[in-house]
Amino acid sequence: MIKFKDVSKYYNGNVVALENISFHIKPGEFVSLVGQSGAGKTTLVKMLIGEERSTEGEIVVGGWNITKLGSSEIPYLRRQIATIFQDFKLLPKKTLLENVEFALQVCGKSMKKIKTIAPQVMRIVGLESKMHRYPHEVSGGERQRAAIARSLVYQPKILLADEPTGNLDSINAKEIIDLLLKINSFGTTVLLVTHNREIVNKLKRRVLTLNEGRLVSDQAIGKYII
Amino acid sequence: MAFFLSVSRIIKFSFQDIFRNIWLSVVTIMILILTLFSVNLLLAVKAISAAAVDTIKNKIDISLYLKTDAPIEKVTALKTKLLNLPNVGEVIYVSQEEALMKFQEANRKDPKIAQALRELTKNPLAPSLIIRPKSAEDFEPLIGELNRVDDAIIESRDFDNYKIMLEKIDAITKKVSEAGLLVSAIFILITLMVIYNTSRVAIYTHRNEIGIMRLVGASNTFIKAPFLISSMIYTLFSLTVVVVSFYLFLNLLQPYLETFFSGYNFNILAYFSNNFARIFGFEFFVAAAVNLLASWLAVSKYSNV
Repeated sequence: MIKFKDVSKYYNGNVVALENISFHIKPGEFVSLVGQSGAGKTTLVKMLIGEERSTEGEIVVGGWNITKLGSSEIPYLRRQIATIFQDFKLLPKKTLLENVEFALQVCGKSMKKIKTIAPQVMRIVGLESKMHRYPHEVSGGERQRAAIARSLVYQPKILLADEPTGNLDSINAKEIIDLLLKINSFGTTVLLVTHNREIVNKLKRRVLTLNEGRLVSDQAIGKYII
Repeated sequence: MAFFLSVSRIIKFSFQDIFRNIWLSVVTIMILILTLFSVNLLLAVKAISAAAVDTIKNKIDISLYLKTDAPIEKVTALKTKLLNLPNVGEVIYVSQEEALMKFQEANRKDPKIAQALRELTKNPLAPSLIIRPKSAEDFEPLIGELNRVDDAIIESRDFDNYKIMLEKIDAITKKVSEAGLLVSAIFILITLMVIYNTSRVAIYTHRNEIGIMRLVGASNTFIKAPFLISSMIYTLFSLTVVVVSFYLFLNLLQPYLETFFSGYNFNILAYFSNNFARIFGFEFFVAAAVNLLASWLAVSKYSNV
């Protein structure tokens, strides 16, 4: 599903962000990408969603080589790889439901489809009773669930979660991880980027560990080792 | 179907942009209105000055002075010859006596001239042929033609004064046009900068929205188009306001122009109405092109959030 082959990224010619990264994530896997700040996790995420280009190597997503992606193809890539972030990235002047609908509107879906899909994904994430509330009227965990709902509207093959629990307390963090596991159980490949040791250790899933831009560990049932 | 859906959403987002930044939109529209109004004002000034120049030219007579003893049959022959010239509209013979009468009439309030005429024993004025061109534009070729006419009864033909006067009028007309072009260019530049900044501020206001649009896979066209459509809406709205207000202004101006051009058929309202599509159509295309260019530059530079 996701294949990195000898991928390197240098800034200003010689500042190393990532060096010789190679790994393969199979369809339906749940993988955690861990590492300290500055290890290269964000750069890797940016390359996966087409925000950055690799300096060397090849990245293939779902059989699609995205290494030299044209700017007009990036929107289509982003409909395949749904992304959620630590800061939720919700529009504050829209309700949770409207935030989800907005994602469908900007990609040209019909009103009929929007009215069917949006409440469905809100139910999947357990927000059907709060979908008419504004982001500031709900908890951080609920905001993150709304962001996950928005990411699900295209039935993506991959869900990229970049520090999704970074702004949450342990109870809400657990709920979000449970939701990610539920989505994974439907067949969606999940790549969880985190530096939360407790979550990674409890998951008992595959762990990729980055350190100073290098992949230092790839364990099938891994632990947070740094 | 999907295309029309996207277009309708882009238009909806454009109106949202305009209303969410209502004061910015008002300022932008005001600047556009001022620019377009000034351009039309300059056009009106140009039309009025052109009409004034034609009026002045029509009032200028070219005189060909004849010998005092010129026999009337030779004068008539010369008159006919002149009337056959391509640019001549009218030729009037003014005899010595008529010339004196006109001179006395013109100077009746000046006792010194009246006294000087009384002291002269004979009429000092020469008979003449007054020549008028077919139209104001025919002045210069007419002078050239008259310089080539050869006849023994012609006493003098000094057209230098006319030439200097025409050159001065043409120089004024040229300066009015140049000033108009310069002012228009300045206004176009101001518009370009205002629209550029409007788009920039609108993008800044919507940076979160644009970021989320990119995140969820909205196409570049879908992200950029609302800003371009907004600039077109500004142009269309401003031009409509200008057309209405400018016609009101011309209605107020017309009575004064009628007094100024008394005896001449000049109507500024008719001028704008006859050239409506050419003037306002051209203004729309230029304003729209300038606005699109400014928005495109701003959107290309700042929308990658």
